[in-house]
Amino acid sequence: MASNKNATDVSVRINSESNLLHAPDETLVIQVARGNSAALEVLYDRYASTVLGISVKVIGDQALAEDVLQETFWRVWQSAATYQSQRGSFTGWLFRIARNLAIDAYRRRNVRPQAISSANGSDPILDETPDPDTDVAEQAQSILKNRQIRKALASLPGVQRQVIEMAYFYGMTRQEIAEATGEALGTIHTRARLALQKLRGEFERDEFEG
Amino acid sequence: MSLKDSMDPRIEELLPFYALDALTDEERELVESYLAEHPEAREQMNDLHSGVSALPYGISPVEPPRQVKESLMARVNADAQARARSSARASQQSSPPLLRLIKGENILRTFTLGIATLAIVWVIILNTKISQLQNEISGLHDTLAAQSNSLEQIIANLPQSPPSNVITVSLKGTDVQPDAHGQLIADPKEQSAVLVISGLPKLEANRTYQVWLISGGGPVSAGLLSIDENGQGVVIVTSEEAISSFKSLAISVEPDGGSPQPTGDIVVSSDI
Repeated sequence: MASNKNATDVSVRINSESNLLHAPDETLVIQVARGNSAALEVLYDRYASTVLGISVKVIGDQALAEDVLQETFWRVWQSAATYQSQRGSFTGWLFRIARNLAIDAYRRRNVRPQAISSANGSDPILDETPDPDTDVAEQAQSILKNRQIRKALASLPGVQRQVIEMAYFYGMTRQEIAEATGEALGTIHTRARLALQKLRGEFERDEFEG
Repeated sequence: MSLKDSMDPRIEELLPFYALDALTDEERELVESYLAEHPEAREQMNDLHSGVSALPYGISPVEPPRQVKESLMARVNADAQARARSSARASQQSSPPLLRLIKGENILRTFTLGIATLAIVWVIILNTKISQLQNEISGLHDTLAAQSNSLEQIIANLPQSPPSNVITVSLKGTDVQPDAHGQLIADPKEQSAVLVISGLPKLEANRTYQVWLISGGGPVSAGLLSIDENGQGVVIVTSEEAISSFKSLAISVEPDGGSPQPTGDIVVSSDI
């Protein structure tokens, strides 16, 4: 009897691990906080390419960006218990860690970032190559989401997109953006607000909080 | 009065950059103080933040090389093992001294005190004998002869009449390490057992032997195994379930710190 119970326990544990693949982010991060490395692996598979994309964009150096990617998920492993879902989505938390680490790495190494999109330039083409390790439905959803976001970003006037990219991806303050662009501080305020309001308007029918 | 009219103009200027996380510390504190007292401003900030949260998805994702994940997971798994060891030590230190030799207080809940006491005494005797024998082994000059003789000495010197519920399982090396051999000595109802092994080569610094207990549900890690200069090792194997619930035992070569599942060569494999 004990043997049967133990076999059942093992089976339940294995089933739970396979269920991790489809668990919501917030469930996985709770598991990570409990020391479940398999849950961290699932989160890595979901978001590593986006985190690396952020890092490469900020730093402009693939090798350094890969260090940031690993350090980002190491922080998640070590700090998962401090994540509070009521304060925002997991992806918001994750991408903020990645962005801050990338900006720190960039400032330390003083590596020039990738050219900031010109005011009227186009965004980089999204890589829509399916990831063989990801569920097909998730791939499709992810691609559709990225297409919609790209469309929304493309709809912004270039000068507005430039301001929010300089602030978000490069951590530049309002004053630094004004100096870099040669625009008045008030103009920078207006462009940032209009850009974010327009993005929000484009997205308000959808949930992007993961 | 509209929301726009009612908001502090300076805060209104700062709010988009607060959402973009691009304020100085001083500016951030100013905004947070204001948000704490003005729910309508918090609502507006949430609207702005929903736009910001989409920005990472608007850039080109970059597929990371496989070795980044492998390196991360090796680091994570090593940390997980260290945490588990630390937790086990803390658990043992909180138990009465005699019970530190066996894992967990739940043994007392599942076994009679008499059986547990016999097992404890037996494990102490066994550990003492093993310690004495290891000292003798280290003094032998002929290393090869010592490797082959010492296990026999260990077995010959084991208590002749262990508790009746204790079993001894012979362990054999696989084709990878055909010279490996040893014994698992266990009370099948216990969650721990003593494993004595001989004939295994010492590994490089970044590799370790890992013991696995295998049931129908797959392998479960039962601890890491260190091998001395004479190719011998002794480890107390522990599991969350009784030893009797497992069908077999295996030893594999894994990266330093161990792995969640066997990944390297299986050097020992035997039915329990």
